[in-house]
Amino acid sequence: MAKNRNDVLQGTLGMLVLKTLALHERLHGYGLTLEIQRASADLLRVEEGSLYPALHRMEQAGWVKAEWGTTEKNRQARFYRLTAAGRRQLATEQASWARLTEGVRLVLEQA
Amino acid sequence: MSWARRLLNLVRDDRLSRELDRELAFHIAERADELRASGMSAEEAEREARRRLGNYALQKERTREVDVLVWLDTVRADLRYAWRALRASPGFALVAVLSLALGIGANTAIFTLIDAVMLRSLPVRAPEELVQVTLGERGDAFTNPLWEELRDRQNFFAGVAAYGDVQFNLAAGGEARRVRGSWVSGDFFSMLGVQPLVGRLIGVRDDHRGCPAIAVLGAGFWRSEYGSAREVVGRTILLEGKPFEVAGVVDPSFTGVTVGSETAVYAPLCAEAVVATRSSLDMRSRWWLQVLGRPQPGLELAALNARLSAIAPAAYAATLPDEYPADSRAEYLAGTFDAEPAPAGVSALRAQYSGALKVLMGVVAVVLLIACANVANLLLARSTTRQREIAVRLAIGAGRRRIVRQLLTESLLLALVSSVVGIAIAWWGSRALVSLIATQPNSIALDLSLDARVLGFTLVIATLAAVFFGLAPAWRAGRVEPVRTLHASGRGIVAGYTRISTGKLLVAGQIALSLALVIGAGLMLATFRTLSTMDPGFEQQGVLLVNVTRAQQPAAETDEAAAEQLTRERMTYTTLLERLRVLPGAAAASAAQLTPISRVAWNNVIRTEGFNVADPRDALSFINEVTDQYFATLGTPLLAGRDFDARDQPGSPRVAIVNEAMARKYFGSVDALGRVFRLGEDPAPYQVIGVVGNSRYRTLREETVPIAYIARSQSAESVSNLTFAVRSAGAPESLIPAIRQLTAEVEPSMSIQFTSLREQVARSLIRERLLAVLSGVFGALALALAVIGLYGTMAFNVARRRNEIGIRIALGSERAAVIRMVLAEAGWLLAIGLIAGTGIALAGTRTVSGFLYGLEPNDPVTIAGAALLFAIVGVAAAGVPAWRASQVDPIEALRAE
Repeated sequence: MAKNRNDVLQGTLGMLVLKTLALHERLHGYGLTLEIQRASADLLRVEEGSLYPALHRMEQAGWVKAEWGTTEKNRQARFYRLTAAGRRQLATEQASWARLTEGVRLVLEQA
Repeated sequence: MSWARRLLNLVRDDRLSRELDRELAFHIAERADELRASGMSAEEAEREARRRLGNYALQKERTREVDVLVWLDTVRADLRYAWRALRASPGFALVAVLSLALGIGANTAIFTLIDAVMLRSLPVRAPEELVQVTLGERGDAFTNPLWEELRDRQNFFAGVAAYGDVQFNLAAGGEARRVRGSWVSGDFFSMLGVQPLVGRLIGVRDDHRGCPAIAVLGAGFWRSEYGSAREVVGRTILLEGKPFEVAGVVDPSFTGVTVGSETAVYAPLCAEAVVATRSSLDMRSRWWLQVLGRPQPGLELAALNARLSAIAPAAYAATLPDEYPADSRAEYLAGTFDAEPAPAGVSALRAQYSGALKVLMGVVAVVLLIACANVANLLLARSTTRQREIAVRLAIGAGRRRIVRQLLTESLLLALVSSVVGIAIAWWGSRALVSLIATQPNSIALDLSLDARVLGFTLVIATLAAVFFGLAPAWRAGRVEPVRTLHASGRGIVAGYTRISTGKLLVAGQIALSLALVIGAGLMLATFRTLSTMDPGFEQQGVLLVNVTRAQQPAAETDEAAAEQLTRERMTYTTLLERLRVLPGAAAASAAQLTPISRVAWNNVIRTEGFNVADPRDALSFINEVTDQYFATLGTPLLAGRDFDARDQPGSPRVAIVNEAMARKYFGSVDALGRVFRLGEDPAPYQVIGVVGNSRYRTLREETVPIAYIARSQSAESVSNLTFAVRSAGAPESLIPAIRQLTAEVEPSMSIQFTSLREQVARSLIRERLLAVLSGVFGALALALAVIGLYGTMAFNVARRRNEIGIRIALGSERAAVIRMVLAEAGWLLAIGLIAGTGIALAGTRTVSGFLYGLEPNDPVTIAGAALLFAIVGVAAAGVPAWRASQVDPIEALRAE
């Protein structure tokens, strides 16, 4: 596998999932991987092995809700949607992410 | 994912696993589609998709672990915290666990009985297929000819069998040794699917007229009687004095189809002819058999009943009793067969006790409710003191839901600990209950083991209880506001003291429910007291009943031989009676076919001049055949005329003594001397020579019934069984050894059985005693719980208002006024509780009116008495905190700020 694509940074997967779900009414796991890949212009790639444990952890925390539904291809899939708590969580994580990147930028850009 | 769902996941691992499988399978399929579109072969695409997802099994495991482990971890933390919290206040924990354990234990004990008596299926093959065939409105007992017709006319049963329960006498003579037995038809065991443990069972080949006498033993009897010796097969056992060859032993799991009793000996139906003086096999009006069947596979109950209806007319027509009068014949021919599901077998015990058990189940449910209210109150009081702790936890970042969950976990832990104690109480309690309803000759064999259903029941009620008593405190904790609470805790005056609090409502509710129970208990106790102290028309103390059965005589070939046998029989009975009369310690003695309150009845149509009824059933009177001095022995007063005496011989004019009710009903007045009546179709008249007082005949509950007594001395019929009544100056049981010896001297082959009249009467009141004792115990428990609740609430309120009371006293309020204030508060709670409780009682006791005797369910004396009891005990319970309030030292109370 070529190394030109970055796997999603540890700890940011949750935030990416929340953000992606915030832009869609509902998505299944596979759709999430496609959407994240597309939105990052193929720069990011979700490690599929960690996606489902992460989704279940978030479901348990009450940030996402899951339900079974049918895809266009008439397959049964588990769809996730964002909850109000998830929206709040996204705001918190985005804020701390902004602080973190700002901090990192300042450190890296000092003359 | 919800809390409950996660619990379900933990238990039903595979379901969660299946969901994950589906979710991941979808992912793989989608990815494979994509890869195929980019030119991979289907196989390659699938492999690559799987590879990208990583180790499939590990993936599943990891995803699930997240769910289960996180959950388990918090549960463990919650439980540990709850355990510490309970240990921190052992007094609270002890009271809470004890009251809950009593409530849960009582529920489990009663449910164990209900399970054993009413719910449990027979331990046979496919019990759910079993049906009982009954005669519709005529009851469930068949005659043998009718059973044989049913057996031979049907082809829609895979198996159908009849059985008749009896008590076999094992003794060769002298005092009888009776064990439970069953006459069973040939396919009884094969239909049920029961296997032999040793030897063989009774089969179809064993059941034919004139069959050899064989017997199959119940495993319990085989163990106790033969020490489980396998060589028992081929040996001989005496049943009613006749030798039966033992063919085998039944598997221990099967104790018979009659729940509540363990059958000791089974013998083929046809062998009844071997032991009976007059065999019942061809008797068309002796109803003694029950019928169980297993329908052909696929035959629904409705279809089965249609088939049964189709064969009924012919079966009844073929078995019409010759002696029936015309109107009874028509009724007989209209008879039906009915099948109803009988997966739990057939049980007289069930018929007798299921109503009482349902009432008790309701009672213990209410007791548990009261116990829950008590614990809820304790928890509420505690949550007030724990508010600071909760506020601290909230302040350092705990979620409210987490705190509520923590408190509910505490409640659940409390309920679980209580149910363990409760199960121990139930184990002991259900056995005590059975011994309360068991009587000497009729021991009760019930399987009281704790099966999954009983444990499940306990678990469910414990959980419900925890939710019930845990909800209010948890809800309150969820509303704690940390800043205010932490601030307020420094101050002495408690914010938010309200006149109507949850705690007070709970106490009023407790008082209401327990008053209803106490009223119910009062009604049951009064019923039992009325029945056990009533004058039944005879004096039950000091009378020993000696039931005598003569060995079967060989059939007489000639009339002379028959006459001689009858003379010998009369001689035997007369000699016995005379010797009983001169027995030291015996004040009087007599004999009778039936004795009072033995649940056996003999009735017939009375025909008199001037007494005509439309329905012959209205002309029925009870009959008994007695010797002279019968009334003197039993203590029934002779109101007019004379007793039977030596003048009344077989050849002399037939005479009778009637009771007052009979005289009034058939002759219009007590003065019936000299009047004449006939019995049934018998043309020979009886002349009334005496009138005696009314007495109870079959049960104590029955109304005054007409009874006609005819003279044993005038009877020309042979009776193999007669009951002697002996009035003793001392304890009736003290006469037993002498009588045992005496009967052996008169006729050694005679078998005898002793019981006292008092015992016989007491046996008829077992259900009433059971209800009285248990509702009394539970009523007392409910009262105690309610009083503890009231005391606790008042004491707690007084403690909370210490500052306020201190200020009142400091400002000049008199101590008496303080007492009045606290008592008034308690008085309100009591008044509300008592009014509501009376309402509940009025509605509730109506459902038990069938169990009452001698008073109405809304008996004002009982209700007023119970309310008064509550008022006294309640005021006493509130008096202690009230007095304590009056002793508050204002300076100290204010200094404690």
